[in-house]
Amino acid sequence: MSKHVPIGLIETPFHPRLEPLSRAKKWMNWAGYISAGVMDTLEFEYFAIRNQTTLFDISPMHKYRIKGKDALLVVNRLVTRDIGKIRDGRVSYVLWCDEDGNLIDDGTLFRYSAQDFRLCCQESMLTWLIDTAWGFEVTIKDESHNVAALSLQGPTSYSLLSDAGISVGDMKPFDWCEVEPGLWISRTGFTGDLGYELWTSNDQALALWDRLWGAGHHWGLRAIGFEALNICRIEAGFMAAGFDFQPVHHAVRLGRGRSPIALGASKMIDFKKGHFNGRRALLTEAQTGPSHHLRKIDIGGFKPADGALIYYKKKHEVGHVTSGVWSPTTKRNIALAEFKAPYGDTIKNDLWAEIYINKEGQWDKRLVRVEIENKPFFQNARSRATPPKPF
Amino acid sequence: MQAKENMMPPKTYDAIVIGAGHNGLAAAATLARKGHAVLVLEAQSSIGGMAKNVELMKGVFAPEIAHLLYNINPTVARELGLGTIFAPLDLISLATVSLSPSGDHVLIKDGTPQDMAGKSHPEAAKYTEIYQRLTKFAGLLGQMSTKTPPSLAGGIKDITDLAQAAGLTKIGLNLKLMGKKDMREFLRVLLSNIYDHLLDDLTDSPLSGALAADAVRGAYAGPRAPGTVFTLMYRLGNGAMVTLPKGGMGAVADAFGKAASNSGVTIRTDAKVAKVMVTDDRATGVQLGSGEVIMAKAVLSNLGPKSTMMLAGVEHYDVEATRRLRHHRAKGTTAKVNLVLSEVPEFTGLKGDLTHARLIIAPSATYVERAFNPVKYGELPQDPVIEAVIPTLSDASITTDGKHILSAILSFVPYNLKGGWSDAARQELREIAIKTLETYAPNIRALILEAQVLSPADIETLTGAPGGHWHHGEMGIDQVLTNRPANQLAHYRFGPAGYYLCGATAHPGGDVMGAAGRNAAMQVIKDGVLK
Ligand SMILES: Cc1cc2nc3c(=O)[nH]c(=O)nc-3n(C[C@H](O)[C@H](O)[C@H](O)COP(=O)(O)OP(=O)(O)OC[C@H]3O[C@@H](n4cnc5c(N)ncnc54)[C@H](O)[C@@H]3O)c2cc1C
Repeated sequence: MSKHVPIGLIETPFHPRLEPLSRAKKWMNWAGYISAGVMDTLEFEYFAIRNQTTLFDISPMHKYRIKGKDALLVVNRLVTRDIGKIRDGRVSYVLWCDEDGNLIDDGTLFRYSAQDFRLCCQESMLTWLIDTAWGFEVTIKDESHNVAALSLQGPTSYSLLSDAGISVGDMKPFDWCEVEPGLWISRTGFTGDLGYELWTSNDQALALWDRLWGAGHHWGLRAIGFEALNICRIEAGFMAAGFDFQPVHHAVRLGRGRSPIALGASKMIDFKKGHFNGRRALLTEAQTGPSHHLRKIDIGGFKPADGALIYYKKKHEVGHVTSGVWSPTTKRNIALAEFKAPYGDTIKNDLWAEIYINKEGQWDKRLVRVEIENKPFFQNARSRATPPKPF
Repeated sequence: MQAKENMMPPKTYDAIVIGAGHNGLAAAATLARKGHAVLVLEAQSSIGGMAKNVELMKGVFAPEIAHLLYNINPTVARELGLGTIFAPLDLISLATVSLSPSGDHVLIKDGTPQDMAGKSHPEAAKYTEIYQRLTKFAGLLGQMSTKTPPSLAGGIKDITDLAQAAGLTKIGLNLKLMGKKDMREFLRVLLSNIYDHLLDDLTDSPLSGALAADAVRGAYAGPRAPGTVFTLMYRLGNGAMVTLPKGGMGAVADAFGKAASNSGVTIRTDAKVAKVMVTDDRATGVQLGSGEVIMAKAVLSNLGPKSTMMLAGVEHYDVEATRRLRHHRAKGTTAKVNLVLSEVPEFTGLKGDLTHARLIIAPSATYVERAFNPVKYGELPQDPVIEAVIPTLSDASITTDGKHILSAILSFVPYNLKGGWSDAARQELREIAIKTLETYAPNIRALILEAQVLSPADIETLTGAPGGHWHHGEMGIDQVLTNRPANQLAHYRFGPAGYYLCGATAHPGGDVMGAAGRNAAMQVIKDGVLK
């Protein structure tokens, strides 16, 4: 039989291991791949991230290689930070904008050298990168379908790697290196906790899985899905594309794009490094102030408030929750929320979330107090400890 | 005009203008008149760009590229004193004759057509009605030409900021004053095609052919393409008078040049700019091909938008801007054939001094559409549309020994000729031009002493105009007004602070008009970058 372009969702290189492990059979579509929503039980998976260690298949992530003489110029033209300040063997969390300063996507940029980078992100970015590179000496390669990746997250992740014979003791957060031929590890993740991401070629994927799985029992290793991870990222205060901001290339309606300033990421903008996409618009916005503010909030009660409208003085609608969960670790009802300026910025009091509660078929509406938070809800020193301990 | 360098040129200028096309000179003069120190740098050894003379034989001067003046902007002329003793410019007004192979030519004078016997043309009433309506509508567009086009930057959320949309408000206001019926008609025809517009009322003849040809001269569009009523109105925007400058197009270059140097502008020729320097997102000066660096607070470019971007460096432009500029439509379609003739050719059926007129070869609107077809395939039109003039009949000052010049613009000659532009291809084009002219003036071939053929590609090489395009960029509805030269770049400001577009590629567009240059200078002043 001839090989056809696959119809429907495709399997990641780890699927042969995930499929038999999945009890929930709760699969999602992530960038065209079959991806786990829940593998077994959401609660088990969540607590495994916070107390043990977990494996999440991040192969569906888009990955692009930017290589050539002008690679540093091109990535600096793309993103808002100064990548000239990032050393080789480091990873940088990056944001990039359209000409109006609205966020196209965020992601992680891996620096091999000034001539060689890998960008990982949620959105398909090939044509944008090609156009960004026009006039420069670089090649852009889409590695999305060639690189398999696993996210190993949790307090015992370091210990597990040691048991698997992989030594990463001197890796600091955002370091990255080739630990063995063909296996790259970065100390990165989306949980705000200790964790690593492992990158290898597709044909090495299953061997890597088996090696980790073999060393994992002692450290409480679990395979997890997106839903548990999503709770953790909200606890860590990380925004997510499609939830807390609308990637502007997908937003059909005018005015749906948001700038890094509106998203609370002004510190990620380096106006001094020279021109980058959207710089002029952002400079103007830095002076006039953004139209919205994305903030971390604490909501009274324990009913998750995802999507809830937020009112000022219980009367004026001034925003809404973009991601809301009950945080099992902090035992708080937490969320990210978008406010129309100046609410959430200079006006922070007398804010209320509207919550609907269904009591066996009877709906009840409540206004619960909203408090603005400045720090991540979940923070733990172990996430930065080098070398990490068997926490 | 040959401008001299100052003895002690200041090291830095308030503004540098790249290119001494008439627009660059208009920009320079406008800034200098407000007291700013301005330097114009021109790559060629003489000023004027597309509007100048070329000496084809000793003492015989032809208009090298542009040959007639019909769209000079009155505000520009007034502000720069064009036509005064300080910047003399004498204009000889010309009638138009639309030639017919049968000899039944049509004379169009002051918007009224007549036949060769001096009798009113059978379609005179209808023609006049159409012509007057278009001229009236064109006047509305003409008002827009001295204003910065309204901005839609940041999307519709900003349109409430009407300060910037003032130009549009004004035209909106005048539209209302026009009366409901006219207004409806204006909006109806604005984007429509000239072919249908004309043939709704007129027969397909040299009369409608001439207007169809005027609508698309310089465009990459046949008369059946949408937007060609707009391009005709653009042409008629400043009164629609066709004139011949005394002393040739060189006199126009000189007039603009004098307006500039009288106001204190320094003009340097043979000074090709290789690079625009940018520091902290601000244009700070230029570097010449020779390596010489000259500093200024603002830099204005008379070039096309992509070259202007490349001079500063693509790294200073947002990706969206580079996308738009890479895809900027500028495929020139006009070629120039200049002939030196031993005597005046005889045009069959052309009486009296009508040979002085602007001569149009476009015997029907359908002929014009057919002539357009080959350009799509990179081929030469075998039966081209021609606009010709024999300036030496009206102005003896540009010739000697009774020699004459026939200046011809051939429409729909491809920039990207299949097989490329070689001497053989130029020869073929010359032959096509002569053969076509022979249909109307059978004795012309024997009179030719010298011929100059400039393809769109040659015009690009000479002037740097993208694609050798008449307007430095197609006047399509996607590239005019708020979108000229491209979306978000329509305010003369061009990327880094202090960097501006000032040529035909900017609003309102090309023709020897001067408005783009003057508007750009006004924007520089308004932005306060020279303080
Ligand atoms: C075949 C043809 C016939 C036309 N006939 C007419 C006509 O009859 N009537 C009419 O009104 N319009 C006519 N036009 C259109 C008209 O000529 C142009 O729209 C107008 O002249 C453009 O003026 P400009 O000043 O914007 O640019 P240009 O006249 O093109 O000037 C640009 C200048 O910049 C200079 N330059 C380029 N690169 C550099 C550099 N790196 N450094 C320094 N200098 C540089 C060039 O040498 C040139 O002098 C015609 C156009 C064509 C192609």
